[in-house]
Amino acid sequence: MLQLLEITGNYIIRGTEEFGRILLLFLNALSWMIRPPYRLKIILKQMEFVGVSSTFVVLLTGTFTGMVLALQTYHGFRKFSAEGLVGATVALSMTRELGPVLTALMVTGRAGSAMAAEIGTMRVTEQIDALYTMAVNPIQYLIAPRIIAGVLMLPVLTIISDFVGIAGGYFIGVGLLKINSGIFVAKMIEIVELNDIFHGLIKSSCFGLILTLIGCYKGFYTKGGAEGVGKATTQSVVFASVSILISDYFLTAVMF
Amino acid sequence: MARFSTEAKVGVFVVVGIILLGYMSLRLGKFEIGRARGYDLYAYFDSVAGLVKNASVEIAGVEVGRVKDISLEEGKAKVTLLIRQGIRLGSDLVASIRTKGVLGDKYVELTMGSPYAPPLKPGGRIVRTISPADIDTLFHKLSAIGDDIKSITGSILNIIGGKEGQESLRMIIKNMREMSDALNKTVQANNENMNQLISNLTDFSKDLKEVTSSNKGAIAKIITNLRRSSARLDETLVALKGILDKINKGEGTIGKLLVEDDTAKNLEAVLVSLKEVSDKINKGEGTIGKLINEEETVDNINTTLTSINEYLQKDERFRTYLNYRGEYLFDSEEVKSYLSLRIQPREDKYYLLQVVDDPAGRTTETEITTTKGGVISSEYKKETDKDAIKFSAQIAKRYYDLGLRGGIFESTGGAAIDYYLFQDHLVLSLEAFDFDSDRNAHLKFKADLTPFQYLYVTAGFDDFISTDGRESFFFGAGIHFSDEDIKTLLSNVPIPGN
Repeated sequence: MLQLLEITGNYIIRGTEEFGRILLLFLNALSWMIRPPYRLKIILKQMEFVGVSSTFVVLLTGTFTGMVLALQTYHGFRKFSAEGLVGATVALSMTRELGPVLTALMVTGRAGSAMAAEIGTMRVTEQIDALYTMAVNPIQYLIAPRIIAGVLMLPVLTIISDFVGIAGGYFIGVGLLKINSGIFVAKMIEIVELNDIFHGLIKSSCFGLILTLIGCYKGFYTKGGAEGVGKATTQSVVFASVSILISDYFLTAVMF
Repeated sequence: MARFSTEAKVGVFVVVGIILLGYMSLRLGKFEIGRARGYDLYAYFDSVAGLVKNASVEIAGVEVGRVKDISLEEGKAKVTLLIRQGIRLGSDLVASIRTKGVLGDKYVELTMGSPYAPPLKPGGRIVRTISPADIDTLFHKLSAIGDDIKSITGSILNIIGGKEGQESLRMIIKNMREMSDALNKTVQANNENMNQLISNLTDFSKDLKEVTSSNKGAIAKIITNLRRSSARLDETLVALKGILDKINKGEGTIGKLLVEDDTAKNLEAVLVSLKEVSDKINKGEGTIGKLINEEETVDNINTTLTSINEYLQKDERFRTYLNYRGEYLFDSEEVKSYLSLRIQPREDKYYLLQVVDDPAGRTTETEITTTKGGVISSEYKKETDKDAIKFSAQIAKRYYDLGLRGGIFESTGGAAIDYYLFQDHLVLSLEAFDFDSDRNAHLKFKADLTPFQYLYVTAGFDDFISTDGRESFFFGAGIHFSDEDIKTLLSNVPIPGN
């Protein structure tokens, strides 16, 4: 019984510790961000890695998500003769929810894991300690650019995802399901508001922060050689994905 | 990859993102970028149920603005509309809340008024508004209507449905068939009659022709007479016209009679019957006809009328009175009733005929004398008929305030003295009758007071020296009419319409 209490207590303490460490790391990174030297080159490199390289994956997921949304809602709306609302539904779902979340999850899988693995390897191979000896702050050099790249690139990816998703939905709805294109677009324009898009972009920025922060944190505190690196990578993906989905709920509740 | 620098890749990537964002914003954001340009109008609605902020404002289906604000003001919904710049609206415009689409989105429809109406200024008020028909109230009304229809169909079902209804319908149809049959027969039967009638008419006109041709001289004389009388008729007509004017205006009794519809009908009926009578008289049918058409009788009648006239002029005070009186006898607790007819040819004398219902009844006495072995024995037999009616017939004569009466009093002989007081309003009478050798006469004292025209009260002491113990005070009331009164009464009684 005592043991059980001890175990749960330990979990709680460890979880709180971890949360605190993440927050401290974030504040540290923030403070280092505004301090010179500004390593623009590194930031751009990270932006390319997080943003540009993820474009293809995001295009694919966005398009097919929009297409399947159109297909599903069409069958639903046809039951009460409201096929015209398919476009509006696809657009609303993409901009408010699926665009930001799916993009963030894809980037987590692609870039977040890579960050954890990269930084973890540097930690294990004592390259981070080497940075210290060279009077280069590893937080400023490694973590801050990645966070900046995540916060900036995720909205761009999300807007691309939104667009291709709606385009995919249009292709399915108008091209295959023969919904009147005028009504499809008109209803979409009538119902979707600019705020839907902007709120989606704000959410995606937050997701970008979360996924880069968790990826960097897991890599930065990696222990135990190659095995530890693998563990850190896995953990970062799982932890970041779960965090994204949970925070998504709260962000949505706050914003809409 | 070597050809593109990192900067170029990121730059292109971000630019693509911004372009897409800009495009979507423009398409989806409508004209929300920046502050919408336009002017405000406001309107009050009874209900704006379902209307939301930013709902569109349309004229003829074209969007001209948005609902900017909805607020409650003095129990009414105040809707502020943002109308796009450059849209000119007349002040007689009507704002109504309409429903669009399957999902029932509400929007504000503006109906343009006259093109000559002065334009509404920014911040002005749209006065004429139509609130949306609430579906709930609509359904309430519809269900009420449905109930009404149901009750109607129910009653129709009650009337027509069922065996009774069908039976009566069948009866109606049967009756109609019979009726049309009868009609048909009548028409056919009358066809012959009509033919006969026409032939009769032909004969008649032939006769007429013969008559006129043989009487040309006489006809000429008639015409001259007619001319002369027509001159007189003119004068008469002038006089008549004055009378008729009065009648038209409803002045006078005849006027009132004629102006009322009922009397006109009655008059018509009277005239019809009069015409029949005069026709008969003309033809010499009946007694009057014969009388009038024979000159001798006319002479006789003339003399008779003259003598009657003389007679009537001699005595214009000929009156007839009808009188009923009831006397309540305190001792026997019974009512004695009198019904009398008083014929008064002159002021100072009259004849009285009276029927009396006396609760004491009429007592008849018979003496039966029997001779039995030389002994004469007489036996009295007294019979009282309670239901018997007694009769009175008297002659009365008046000298100033004193009146004397004599004759039959309740089927017996008698006499009476009347004393008239207060212009005949109080009459004191003493009657003495039923004289018999073995008992006292019936004496009656009474006082009649006439406070009103037709009603009077009476009190007195009946049979006050009676030996049979029939003496009694009485109190009563009566009603009497003269013939004049009866005439006016009868003419005022409404006669059931014909």
